[in-house]
Amino acid sequence: MTDRRRINGPPSGTRPAVFASSLKSASGDATERPRRHRQPNELRKIFLKTGLIPSASGSAYLEYEPSASLAAARSSPQSLIPPSSALKLACTVHGPKPLPRSATFSPNLVLTTHVKYAPFAARQRKGHIRDASERDLGVHLETALRGVIVAERWPKSGLEITITILEAEDDRWWGDAPDSHDAPWGMMNVLAGCITAASAAIADARIDCLDLVAGGVAAIVSDDAVAEEGSSSTPKLMLDTDPAEHKSILSACVVAYMPARDEITEIWLKGDHSKASLGVDDSSLGHEALIDGAINAARGAHTVLVEAVLESAERYAGLSSSDS
Amino acid sequence: MASSAPPPALTLPPSQFARLQPHAYLLAHLSPPASSNQPSLRANGRQPAQFRPTSANTGSLTHTNGSAVVRVGDTTAVCGVRAELLPTSDIASWSVSHASSGAHKRATTTKNDADADADESHIQDLNLLVPNLSLSTGCAPGFVPGAPPSALAQSLSHQILGLLHSTRLVRAEDLRVWYQVPSFGGDGDMDVDAEEDEGRKKKNDGKEIKAFWVLYIDIMIISLAGNAFDAAWAAVLAALRDTRLPRAWWDADNEMVVCSEAVAEATRLSLRGLPIASSFCVFEADAAAGWRAVIVPDAEEEKKIEEDQRRGMQRRWILADPDGYEEGLSQERVCLVVDREMGKTVIVKMEKNGGWAVDGRELKQLVDTAAERWESLKLILEQC
Repeated sequence: MTDRRRINGPPSGTRPAVFASSLKSASGDATERPRRHRQPNELRKIFLKTGLIPSASGSAYLEYEPSASLAAARSSPQSLIPPSSALKLACTVHGPKPLPRSATFSPNLVLTTHVKYAPFAARQRKGHIRDASERDLGVHLETALRGVIVAERWPKSGLEITITILEAEDDRWWGDAPDSHDAPWGMMNVLAGCITAASAAIADARIDCLDLVAGGVAAIVSDDAVAEEGSSSTPKLMLDTDPAEHKSILSACVVAYMPARDEITEIWLKGDHSKASLGVDDSSLGHEALIDGAINAARGAHTVLVEAVLESAERYAGLSSSDS
Repeated sequence: MASSAPPPALTLPPSQFARLQPHAYLLAHLSPPASSNQPSLRANGRQPAQFRPTSANTGSLTHTNGSAVVRVGDTTAVCGVRAELLPTSDIASWSVSHASSGAHKRATTTKNDADADADESHIQDLNLLVPNLSLSTGCAPGFVPGAPPSALAQSLSHQILGLLHSTRLVRAEDLRVWYQVPSFGGDGDMDVDAEEDEGRKKKNDGKEIKAFWVLYIDIMIISLAGNAFDAAWAAVLAALRDTRLPRAWWDADNEMVVCSEAVAEATRLSLRGLPIASSFCVFEADAAAGWRAVIVPDAEEEKKIEEDQRRGMQRRWILADPDGYEEGLSQERVCLVVDREMGKTVIVKMEKNGGWAVDGRELKQLVDTAAERWESLKLILEQC
């Protein structure tokens, strides 16, 4: 069925370009997997700015620092295939506004979240209609934010949070066979970014929150590259993993965390962490270490968030003083 | 102008007055009392013919062949161009209608680019350009995210598609993937398989089209504060200028089109001209002009209007690059798309609707304004 409200391409569909090097790489190694140059507990830099969209009551734009391989590919482009990608997303908050007449009475603020990938966000072209994974992200985001907003201050009103992902994280390295990683790990990074950006946008809309909630990702990875060096082949805990940089991710975890209250509003843990023994000195269980790692990553994101919200508050204070 | 000076008992900050009495607010800005000695400015501080500051940035998105972010004031458009392949074997009617005729055209048109009209029919017939504009990004409060595209989004997508076709911006030749059919020495061993086929190939100098590039041009309006079309078109233009298509060839062994990943071998699109859009809206001093029955002024009224203008009383203002606030207060819109070739201004598209205020003389002035805009935007697009 064709979408009659949009302009559709050729009716027979089109095929993404196939690169000659990827045909060859089945036999030999054409290009190298991007390497992680950061320390295991080092986060990527986050660019977060509020108030870029004046027509919304609150807005934020978030961008991750490109990984070393991507930055190198940008400065001196050799190949048309990007080695990895860096998250870029825009978040807008509309409201609080009265609920439509048809809606049932609600004593609390009704939160709706929409997460949508731009068609050009991922390596594979995305459709215009939200698919299941985008809806899933929206639900995860809603649970993460519902626990933060003081909802009873706005009865009978609604708050709409819309996130447009301009560039998503890769789920795996492009050179890997499509079935080598089972789970879409990139989604977890995207969710962490969504939580941080939405939190900044909500604060920018000056909606009362318990705390600034921040998202963080940690993963247990087993890297072949490490094994070859002979140091150890045991799985390692890494913060803020870029899935393109790792051969196999055993398990990953996203949390939405409020540092001031030491509370977690959303936890999403995926993969097999039972077999992962984290070194000799680390006696804690796999999933606890994983959650602690994610919390640490969230703490890191929180520092950026505080700066961005402070900037938003200063702008608001400046505006209100010039108005009166 | 009683409405422009509220009684002193009830004073309102300007921002509230702008919301309560938008028409009077803008009118008061445009026609300040002669005693105040203030220039006629819009509520946003611009001259009537002044465009908003524009900035453009290209090539920042990783997974696109070409991308651009264009900011016109508070309106932001992000455009990503993604190229995919359409093998001719997938086109249902290809072998019947195009295979032979396309080659004939090529033989004639490569010599002379002027009669490239027939050459471009591929782009339109095969839908090789697929622009889609999305407003459901939370860009403005009115658009529900997750809903099907609004009427405005659909109309903007179609305007962009129409403009891409009518300006013939993209050359069909750039989108074709050719294959040189190798000649197998003598004719003897070939005419056993398919005599007819061989005959056709000979006619084409041994070249045939194996695939087309399809350009998916997706525009996300991230922030909307009026005049989405100009920003979206500028973003499309900047993204197409940034677009690089990989070198592609037909791999006879794999029976598919494969591409080279080397950046050095990729080619940029060679666009025809640089058509740039500028929009205007007409603000009427008479607040009721919008909903009253439109009566074309007769000679007497015409004289009166001219007399008013001579006395310095303006009744309507043509505002360039309207923001969201001004768009809501005006009915009449003018959209001009102009290009300049060798110092001459070429009107590519002219659209005017919603009123009768703009006449031929004013349209001429607008074309001049649009030409000035062309110069300034050209600099911006060339710098990014």
